[in-house]
Amino acid sequence: MPSATPRLFQNGRIASADSKDLLASDVLVDETGTIVAIGPGLTAPADAELIDCGGGVLVPGMFDVHVHAREPGQEHKETLATCSAAALRGGVTGVVLMPDTSPPVDTGNLVKSARDLIAELSAIPMLQAGCLTKGREGKEMAGFSGMASRGVPMLTDADRAVPCPDLLRRCMEYARDFDLLVTSHCDTPALSKAGAINEGRVSYRFGLPGIPAISQEIAIDRDIRVAQHTGAKLHLQQISTARGLQSVQCAKEAGTSVTCEVSPHHLVLTEQDIRDYNTHFKFHPPLRPAADVEALVAGFIDGSIDVLACDHAPHTEFEKSSEFGSAPFGAAGLETTVPVMFDRFIRKGVFGWDLLIKRYSASPRRLVGLAPVAIAEGARAEFFLFDPEGETPVTRETMKTKSPVSPFLGETLVGKVRGTVLGAAWYPQG
Amino acid sequence: MRDLKPRKDLLDIEGLELPEIEYVLSNAVPFKQLFQRSVKKVPTLRGKTVLNLFYEPSTRTSSSFEVAANRMSADVTNFTVSSSSVVKGESLLDTIETLQAMRSDYIVIRHQAAGVPNIVAKHTGASVINAGDGYHAHPTQALLDAMTFREVCPDYQGRKMVIVGDVLHSRVARSTSTLFHKLGIEVGVLGPGTLIPSGRHEFIRRFRSWDEVFDWKPDAVYLLRVQLERQEGMFFPSIAEYHKMYGMNTERLVRMRQIGAYLMHPGPVNRGVEITDEAMRYERSLISTQVENGIAVRMAVLHWLKPETDTD
Amino acid sequence: MSESGDNVREAILSPEEISAGVADLARQIAYRCAGDEVAFVGIYTRGVTLAHRVAEALKAQGLRYPVGTLDISLYRDDFDNRGSDLPTLESSDIPFGLDGIRVILFDEVIFTGRTIRAALDGLMDYGRPAKIELAVLVDRGHREIPIQPDYVSTHIGTTRDQYVKVRFREDDGGEEGVFLETPRKVPTA
Repeated sequence: MPSATPRLFQNGRIASADSKDLLASDVLVDETGTIVAIGPGLTAPADAELIDCGGGVLVPGMFDVHVHAREPGQEHKETLATCSAAALRGGVTGVVLMPDTSPPVDTGNLVKSARDLIAELSAIPMLQAGCLTKGREGKEMAGFSGMASRGVPMLTDADRAVPCPDLLRRCMEYARDFDLLVTSHCDTPALSKAGAINEGRVSYRFGLPGIPAISQEIAIDRDIRVAQHTGAKLHLQQISTARGLQSVQCAKEAGTSVTCEVSPHHLVLTEQDIRDYNTHFKFHPPLRPAADVEALVAGFIDGSIDVLACDHAPHTEFEKSSEFGSAPFGAAGLETTVPVMFDRFIRKGVFGWDLLIKRYSASPRRLVGLAPVAIAEGARAEFFLFDPEGETPVTRETMKTKSPVSPFLGETLVGKVRGTVLGAAWYPQG
Repeated sequence: MRDLKPRKDLLDIEGLELPEIEYVLSNAVPFKQLFQRSVKKVPTLRGKTVLNLFYEPSTRTSSSFEVAANRMSADVTNFTVSSSSVVKGESLLDTIETLQAMRSDYIVIRHQAAGVPNIVAKHTGASVINAGDGYHAHPTQALLDAMTFREVCPDYQGRKMVIVGDVLHSRVARSTSTLFHKLGIEVGVLGPGTLIPSGRHEFIRRFRSWDEVFDWKPDAVYLLRVQLERQEGMFFPSIAEYHKMYGMNTERLVRMRQIGAYLMHPGPVNRGVEITDEAMRYERSLISTQVENGIAVRMAVLHWLKPETDTD
Repeated sequence: MSESGDNVREAILSPEEISAGVADLARQIAYRCAGDEVAFVGIYTRGVTLAHRVAEALKAQGLRYPVGTLDISLYRDDFDNRGSDLPTLESSDIPFGLDGIRVILFDEVIFTGRTIRAALDGLMDYGRPAKIELAVLVDRGHREIPIQPDYVSTHIGTTRDQYVKVRFREDDGGEEGVFLETPRKVPTA
């Protein structure tokens, strides 16, 4: 619970983006929420709360650029309060909210209302993205100047691709005037149509209409070309195939200002993991075959993929209980991302905390013009304590999100976020 | 007596093991023999209820199940849900709650969405029989197809069958090809590239022409119904073209006769599209046998499955 | 007397005694059915064998009675209690009309009578015999249904927990004999 006392974190190991090694150290945070001392065997001030890290890892707070908080308009799925609780449980200390609320955020005033709500209801800072087109309808440009003046970090139609290339081009040209990042959901609706799952062996066996890989790949190629032509800054959401990643790599080599993100589920799950029509595995873009997953992991490690973003998309259990074809796409991800990345990769030595911090803490912040956070003397305290020996059971009862829908439901992940520090506040996770 | 693990539901062919398949197919034979008696009924399921829950209209499959259940002396209720009465707000789970309250022993369900029988089966103790869900599966069709094929080819292992038509949208193609493969029968397909999915099982070989099919000398040719709506779906330019390329016409019938191949079709047929009037009179057509065997197989399935009742 | 596993096995009828029993049944039937149109229906599995053996014995006397077979699994009253041992159905085959015929049902043993009740239901779905009678090799008592055999070769006194096992060489891999098995009592400490 937040309270303004100094805190001494004892016996921790500090992770940073710059080094593969963890630094055994104590960290002292004062009552203003500033890190005042780092070093072994620090003395605690008299009124300090002592937190024994037990050798656990102190990690700079994570930042997720793809989150649907559903408020205003769909509070039955999630609210700003439950979303921020889920974030803190996952070691996430900042997010970018998608503008697909009801009403969609497509004017400066709506951005301001959103920011007011965030300030009132969320425990963590949240940036509100704005729509590219009015109402996300893909027909007319939204009010960029108003939104820019309210500090939107990016423009996106969230889960909708702009169908008309000409409109996309105009949006990018105009967005460039405001130096705004254009973020694309990459999809070709005419190809993905009623598809529910990757088109391939699994869609055949399940008898479900498929979404072919080219649906995303063509959209990636198109948006990159338009960005190259207009000079806009482009960020591509939810890369899911090897070919799509190749397009990004080529564009980067050619000097295009393009970045991309990948989700934890696309790094860890394949279409073969979908069993018995379980809708918790239904995503857009869909889970792909193992070969794509391998390429994405390699791209995540070598930096072709810039950021990790979980596409936190809560839907109620009721909505997800309909048959696979008509169930909505997406699952909650904020509180499982760090434990999944530790469980599947870090503890197996596939990569270290330094890489995760780069992709999920430093680069995402830079993407939206924020400075990275670090555990350093003089810096504001923004980090979490991770216990590599602990466990994170993924169950309805333990999840903080209002809609505990997740492909990891029923699993117990190795490792646990024991608590998150945000300035003077400490949020222990039971 | 065989030690097979009791099964509550029949949802697809993939999940079945060979001993279970053999069991159902061999039991279907005595059930078929009952049809020759004047009393075609047996009292085995007397007092049990069978609910026919059909979300898609189908007189042939639903009546086949109804006849099968009646011949087992079960009480049958038919529940056809037309698309207009499925209110968007009423979810599948709501319907399932209603079904649970009705306490049927068996639910035969046909639905346009794949996976629905799986959901229903999870939420009810009734034995759920999939009578066709989307493009996914139609297990009783596959079983009756296998029974029919084995009647004319008792040495069925190593025999060959070719499926012709719209495999992409066909639950019959998926279930029947999977079952025939499990039984050791080789399976091929013929059809336009738009309708032969590349994600199909690897054991299904693709032929590019009727010449290639006949060179392979299949023991049976299985025609799939081509829905006329597919033409609008840009899968092939016209019905006439489909019929010219892939229809069972006089010339191909001659070749069928030459190699002594049998003709099969799950029904209902589209005369003039996948098959001509003349071909319907082909002497080695198994189409009506399939229908007859359908009742016997469905009786054998009702006999085999075991609902979970409160008294367990 | 032999012991195997949990049961103590005792031979009740030797192969010679079984032959004598078959001959005895044939004699009874020939005597009482003189002049009637008779057909045999054996209940799967060993009732069929018994029916064939008696029919063979009667052929020697110039009486040719047809033999049909009946699988009663679909008529049993214990369908709900079937466990993991699922019954394989046999093909019932009654290739003659039953109307006006004196039908003799054959089973190797009669016990509670429930099997015979199911057989009666099954038989009558094939037609309407003028008369139905029952012939068994062994009657072991403990009836639960008011059904009695018309032709019996051997009566055996048994307790409820004992098993009477008839073995015919045609059905049991060459083994021939009637055995009484008694579950071995576990001594109480």
